[in-house]
Amino acid sequence: MDIDDYEDFDSSGSRLTCPGESLTSSQAYMRGHGTYVDSEEVIASVAGTIERVNKLVTVRAIRSRYNPEVGDLVVGRITEVQPRRWKVDAHSRQDAVLMLSSVNLPGGVQRRKLESDELQMRGFFEEGDLLVAEVQAFFSDGAMSLHTRSLKYGKLRNGQLVAVPPILVRRLKSHFLTLPCGVDLILGLNGYIWVSKHVKASEQEGEEGFDAEAVYSNVNDEIDEATRTAISRVTHVIRVLTSHFIPLTDTLLLEAYEWTVEQETNVRDLFQQDFGDALVASITVGR
Amino acid sequence: MASTTSLSKAEKSYIQAGLLANPPTRGDGRSAQDFRTISLQTSVAPLANGSARVSIGRDPHDGSGGTEVLAATKLEVESVDLGSGSGGVNGGRVMCSVTCSPAAYPHLSSAALDDLQYDLTTILNSTLTHPSLHPKNLTILPGKKSWLLNLDLVVLVDSGNVFDALFLAARAALWDTKVPRTRSVEYKARKAGGGGEGGEKGDMEVDEEVVSGFDTRQIRHATDFELPDYWDEGEELDGRDRWPVCVTLNLVPPAHFLDATLEEEAAIPLRLLLMFSFDSDEPHIQGMRTMGNGELTVPQLGELLKEGEKYARQIWQSLNAKLKEEELGRIKERNKF
Repeated sequence: MDIDDYEDFDSSGSRLTCPGESLTSSQAYMRGHGTYVDSEEVIASVAGTIERVNKLVTVRAIRSRYNPEVGDLVVGRITEVQPRRWKVDAHSRQDAVLMLSSVNLPGGVQRRKLESDELQMRGFFEEGDLLVAEVQAFFSDGAMSLHTRSLKYGKLRNGQLVAVPPILVRRLKSHFLTLPCGVDLILGLNGYIWVSKHVKASEQEGEEGFDAEAVYSNVNDEIDEATRTAISRVTHVIRVLTSHFIPLTDTLLLEAYEWTVEQETNVRDLFQQDFGDALVASITVGR
Repeated sequence: MASTTSLSKAEKSYIQAGLLANPPTRGDGRSAQDFRTISLQTSVAPLANGSARVSIGRDPHDGSGGTEVLAATKLEVESVDLGSGSGGVNGGRVMCSVTCSPAAYPHLSSAALDDLQYDLTTILNSTLTHPSLHPKNLTILPGKKSWLLNLDLVVLVDSGNVFDALFLAARAALWDTKVPRTRSVEYKARKAGGGGEGGEKGDMEVDEEVVSGFDTRQIRHATDFELPDYWDEGEELDGRDRWPVCVTLNLVPPAHFLDATLEEEAAIPLRLLLMFSFDSDEPHIQGMRTMGNGELTVPQLGELLKEGEKYARQIWQSLNAKLKEEELGRIKERNKF
């Protein structure tokens, strides 16, 4: 690598690299995550974008597990119930932790935790349950701590989960989307996407008196066939887009959904490759 | 068998309610009898005597997802020693084993993975090593040497319906298997006094390829064999039409559906495996197994058997068509040179 490349490296904001590519001299820069040093050169060990902070060079991998940040919205699945806490799989390197003190408890939003709450933790969340939560803080070992202390967060029902690579979920103004076809979407930044039947804001549980029965319920509402079809159609659209590695946004999903409805096809036609390719071609035009 | 994916109660009831609705709807929009796309490739392992790779439901664009199974057969020479405990049997043996890649089941501990492998192996072994399916050309020297047919299967990815994939791969690999041709070799002492010094050492004589039916000398005295070079690597395994296919009926009483995904498998109480073989269009049931903690009555079972036969016949026909096509393709490839 000669002098010109160094200048190029300095100037470019974000550049893609692939494993084995030499980035810079190890004498001028320090190696960060995603790089290693060989014969006085910093070399990328993963495919991703190069990032530089002063003299530290890192490569942020494209395909990786979810890297949590405080304030992120995530969708997770309970894996374990432990004393005063739940372990949650959130597609991160370690299981996340949801403390009993970070969930809303029945009978008032703010109240002290009692021993009886500890004894009936499985009544709130049990193994396998899906929930939507926010990243609250990090523990010293890097595990994230979640909280569901808002009426927007909590247990999920009336739908199905789709898992996509976390990098494809962009940060949006709101991660709770409502599509006009009667489908609600929760785009977890960890790559878990919850597709469910639309629930009207006025009908949402716990507006006033926080109905714990309803918030921690495991029973689905009545879902009609049209909604089911819409849910599986949206699921398919997400799968097709992610297999083409297209980042998901609200407008894109809506356009894609409308396109599939216009084509008047069955949901299962989306299995066909040419159909998926046509979908991607149509929505990426003029973009 | 314990389910490997965990689902919340709400997800389970969502899937079940969809299946019981009229018409039944599934999470991915398929109807109850729809299979995902199956792709099959034979002769994928160059060092095996026969091999196949099957994937069910792989994403057509980036090749991700989908159940993927690799099957390979390897023939091994075994001496037939009655009572010595080496295990060789006159007429040859067939042995199946299933290995699960840890990458296919990342959530399972190694002990749980061993259990799963054992379960899968037992089901394949008990079905495929049944005497009614035994190939007749595994003998090398009657009473002395025979072939041991090892069928090894690897589950590379499991996204549901692993049994159908395993049996498809097994049938394809066995169909693809070529048994090397052998010729018996006999050692015969030269008549005393005929020559000078080297006479008593014994001389090797190779049999004629055309063996007279009246000449029983070879059968009695043949002690070893050799492999003549052949352009096509040997003959097909005997009875390769008979290897069964499996159809898994996933039961949500009173409904049933085919080709479940992992989530669907976790949401249903009972599965019924049916192994069918169609010898000259006559259905033979080669195996049957229920899995899960649900219940099944005898009249229900009768109904399901009839339905299962119908599905199995479709799988059977399309698999045979694909295998013939693969074979023709390979013959063409070879004739190019």
